[in-house]
Amino acid sequence: MTAIRHLTRRDLLRLSPSVAAALAVGCRSRTGRFVDREIDTGRIAGSIVGASHEVGHRLRAGGLPEPQEIRDVPVVIVGAGIAGLSAGWKLAKSGFRDFEILELETDAGGNSRWGANEVSAYPWGAHYLPVPSSESTAVRELLEEMGMVHDLGPDGDPIYDPRHLCHAPQERLFIDGRWQEGISARELLGTAPAPGDQAMLAEFEQQVRRYQDYRDARGRRAFALPMALSSDDPDLVALDRISMLEYFDRAGWTSERLRWYVDYCCRDDYGCSLETTSAWAAWHYFCSRDEEVEYLTWPEGNGRIVRHIVERLERHLHSGMLVYRIRLTADPGTSETSTEGVDVDVLDTRTNSSVRIRARQVIYALPRFTATHVLAGYELPGIDAFSYAPWMVANLTVDRLPEGAAWDNVIYDSLSLGYVVATHQNLRVAPGPSVLTYYMPLAVPNPEVARRWMLERSWDDWVSIILGDLAPAHVGLESLVTQIDVMLWGHAMIRPVPGFLWGEPRRRAAEAFGPVRFAHSDMSGISLFEEAQYRGVRAAEDLMRDVGHAYRSSLGLAEEGV
Amino acid sequence: MDEHNTPSTDDRHSKSLALLCSVFAIATCGLIYELLAGTIASYMLGDSVTQFSTIIGVYLFSMGLGSYLSRYFHKDLIAVFIQIEILVGLIGGLSSLVLFMAFAELDAFRVVLYSWVALTGILVGLEIPLVLRILKDQFPFSDLISKVLSLDYLGGLAASLLFPLWLVPQVGLMQSSFVFGVLNVLVAVWTCHLFRAQHRRPILTVQAYAVLALLLTGVAFSEVLLDFSERRLYQDPVIFARSSRYQRIVATQAQGEMRLFLNGDLQFSSLDEYRYHEALVHPGLASVASPQQVLVLGGGDGMVVREILKDQRVQHVTLVDLDPTMTDLFTDHRVFAALNNYALRSPRVEVVNADAFVWLEDSTSRYDFIVIDFPDPSNYSLGKLYTTTFYRRLAAHLAPDGVAAIQSSSPLMARRAFWCIVETVRMAGFDATPYHVAVPSFGEWGYVLASHEPFQMPERFPENLRFLNQLITPALFTFPTDMEAVPVEVNRLNNQILVRYQKEDWGQFAP
Ligand SMILES: Cc1cc2nc3c(=O)[nH]c(=O)nc-3n(C[C@H](O)[C@H](O)[C@H](O)COP(=O)(O)OP(=O)(O)OC[C@H]3O[C@@H](n4cnc5c(N)ncnc54)[C@H](O)[C@@H]3O)c2cc1C
Repeated sequence: MTAIRHLTRRDLLRLSPSVAAALAVGCRSRTGRFVDREIDTGRIAGSIVGASHEVGHRLRAGGLPEPQEIRDVPVVIVGAGIAGLSAGWKLAKSGFRDFEILELETDAGGNSRWGANEVSAYPWGAHYLPVPSSESTAVRELLEEMGMVHDLGPDGDPIYDPRHLCHAPQERLFIDGRWQEGISARELLGTAPAPGDQAMLAEFEQQVRRYQDYRDARGRRAFALPMALSSDDPDLVALDRISMLEYFDRAGWTSERLRWYVDYCCRDDYGCSLETTSAWAAWHYFCSRDEEVEYLTWPEGNGRIVRHIVERLERHLHSGMLVYRIRLTADPGTSETSTEGVDVDVLDTRTNSSVRIRARQVIYALPRFTATHVLAGYELPGIDAFSYAPWMVANLTVDRLPEGAAWDNVIYDSLSLGYVVATHQNLRVAPGPSVLTYYMPLAVPNPEVARRWMLERSWDDWVSIILGDLAPAHVGLESLVTQIDVMLWGHAMIRPVPGFLWGEPRRRAAEAFGPVRFAHSDMSGISLFEEAQYRGVRAAEDLMRDVGHAYRSSLGLAEEGV
Repeated sequence: MDEHNTPSTDDRHSKSLALLCSVFAIATCGLIYELLAGTIASYMLGDSVTQFSTIIGVYLFSMGLGSYLSRYFHKDLIAVFIQIEILVGLIGGLSSLVLFMAFAELDAFRVVLYSWVALTGILVGLEIPLVLRILKDQFPFSDLISKVLSLDYLGGLAASLLFPLWLVPQVGLMQSSFVFGVLNVLVAVWTCHLFRAQHRRPILTVQAYAVLALLLTGVAFSEVLLDFSERRLYQDPVIFARSSRYQRIVATQAQGEMRLFLNGDLQFSSLDEYRYHEALVHPGLASVASPQQVLVLGGGDGMVVREILKDQRVQHVTLVDLDPTMTDLFTDHRVFAALNNYALRSPRVEVVNADAFVWLEDSTSRYDFIVIDFPDPSNYSLGKLYTTTFYRRLAAHLAPDGVAAIQSSSPLMARRAFWCIVETVRMAGFDATPYHVAVPSFGEWGYVLASHEPFQMPERFPENLRFLNQLITPALFTFPTDMEAVPVEVNRLNNQILVRYQKEDWGQFAP
């Protein structure tokens, strides 16, 4: 027997120093609504899996074995997340063969990793990709290569294979003690509008449309994907100086449900709450795509994309490799082309022996905070501005899909984001077992404290937190669950806190460090597939341009961005 | 007759009266068991004249046998009588339960039926001769005979009135048999009690109470045992119910009409299913130049296959249905398989149990004629089987000059749903030809023919059809004003608009 616990926002805030600020948000948990109770979790198996925290510790602690051998590899890509993989993808596609990708984990993919059991494949992180807008040329190219494009529409726009577009029913929300279809602000406010709700919703939606339609003098969107292509008009940039909470306060949008909805969206995309998300980032979420956007999704989530790229890069990819030191072998102050090269020291975690790789060029596709420990001599003023939200992700194997499940199942006023159903795109009619991927960003002002708290929880703690959260909306869920595996992402997502996106440190993060180029979604300040891919492809293209290797740009009209 | 007014004669007299009363009860019970068996047999096997005649015959003959056997009992007739009452109560009381179970579980239903009737008959046949012999010293013979037989026939009258007027409509077959079993045992208990002074019979008393307890438990749990718990939701008596992995299968029967329900939705009525199935199969099938390879998706009841096999040009039929319980039932169970004329046992037929969409994705075969007989798109799971994606997949399996016939809900009751299916079939690149037919138990029903080439009205149909002919067929392809096309959206995996149409349209007609 386990006592299930309903973890409240307040519980989380106790961990965090700035309790007061956060409490101002209109989405406090209604404590007392759910009674803590005992449930039988005896038959639930599982463990905390993945993400090599220990290895990270070793990295910081130092004292790793010195390299015993030396190899020469012209180009090394460090990290096989979407950014690193995309860099490799672009190199290989352009006929550039002399490179290796080094990845710490056994499986490539980073935050887009996936797993599988006898029931289904399932995501460990990223689980969907919105149908790309016309700016996202590289995403379109990749999806076409994956066979996701079915046809071309009358205007030449790709028509995506309906098997992979998220099937109906897409979303449902548990609110006021029952499930309702849809989670959009409109659907949310439609149920029990408080006075003024409708007017505020109308203003909000009007603002969304205004930003969606905005084009600056150079024809750029207010909020583009990749974000580097967004307009830099001062009025827009100014949005980055305030939080979305401040924006709401200034606009007089007091509607509790509207606030909850936007807060939910910020937590979903950035792992940040309304008060910690920059207003620019929040509007980017709503306005960077055209209306009525559709999602591509697969059982393993964006792991499907990882699989596709990995199949093409098999011979370049080396996993279980901890890159622990990168050192330039000539002075980076002199002109780039004249540097000798880079020494990349790598620990093979399987044999516990190290190798030094002599490279001429490196693409550094790790989150930037690691540079302090890995990249010798690298200095980015204000690197501390790169802060990351911790996330807990759990995969629950169930004997039977909960009644009426949609693809995305959200619980109003919960700390979690609810769960997505891995078998949703299945064409089967028969009901059957499934895997539910449950997401909980620790969206509090101080991620350091939350991260420590998160890593200290035991598997039993997580089981009781997860079931405590889901139980009110799913009577008897515990009897359907056979397995709960938990993944703790200490540095899951870069946090677009006010000032970060248009601030100095992020802008300067794109600058190469001698022959070391950077590629990671954190350089965009928003953690999205499109951004990671853009950064990866861009680094590969810059590299090929510099070494004089011919290529066709996948970034199309992409101008110089920041 | 002993005229002395001693307490003992008085006592004997009241005992005699009691025994005479029990004759009435016994007679009522006996006839009730017979009627129950006859009714259940006609539910299950149809043709009530035959069922009742054979059952009455077997029953009466067994009673005769019982009467004959009574001569072999000499000692302690009261005890024998009590014993027999208990047994009749047990056998008769359980009769409905046993017969229903036999129907669901065994193919040897008739063997169980007649054995059970014979057993009951023998035991009931023993009763009257025993009573006569017990009472032979209490009354003059002529008086005795007239009393016993008139009470016996009076019991018969009571049973024959109670049965149709109260028991079948109010109590139900199952409970009736238990109730009368209980009555039988109560007679035994009462007799034990009356004669307790002369004979102490602890064993018989214990037996009687045990059987009583068993029968009362039966009253409480028989529905659970038979899985008939939702019996009251159906208008007609449930004769079969089973939960498969995928659905709830229930059959009801009344006046020779069998109805099959899946998850509570009517699939067919044996009275008019030929209209539905002939109309689904033959316009399309007869229009195909050379329909050798045929595919049926859904339709595990085998009715569609039965129709297809009427066309001698067909060489091979593949039936893909999700639920093995359904296809097994309609292959093996004599009563259900008879409805499809044993079509699923034909060497021309291959049954595959698989999820249709997934099966289509994996298969590469092509067919000259395809029938799609899925349940209505009333939820998102089923709605997938009516999407552009599904029909595109279907197109890949249809020979260039082939035709697919699709059951498509009601153009009258679910007008938007029907035309949504038509538009979705068109959107998938097919030529879509809609038509409809009146099926009394469903109402006005609609179908769509999907083909790569424009559909040609067939010139001839197989011989032995009951509904379709050349004259009527063209009329099915014209739509009256209240069923004409309405503007609708196309059903896709990511909108599943059809499920909404289906729900809203039918909702208008719901009570
Ligand atoms: C829970 C969660 C859900 C998400 N959902 C979505 C979604 O639905 N849609 C979406 O678009 N985005 C989503 N994201 C954002 C996701 O982060 C991006 O889509 C993308 O995967 C980021 O890729 P990246 O390459 O920039 O970074 P990362 O994934 O961080 O890649 C870095 C890689 O470097 C490796 N590495 C780290 N240190 C070392 C070392 N020392 N040596 C060698 N290798 C090392 C890591 O193991 C990792 O593979 C989600 C993120 C999380 C955490």
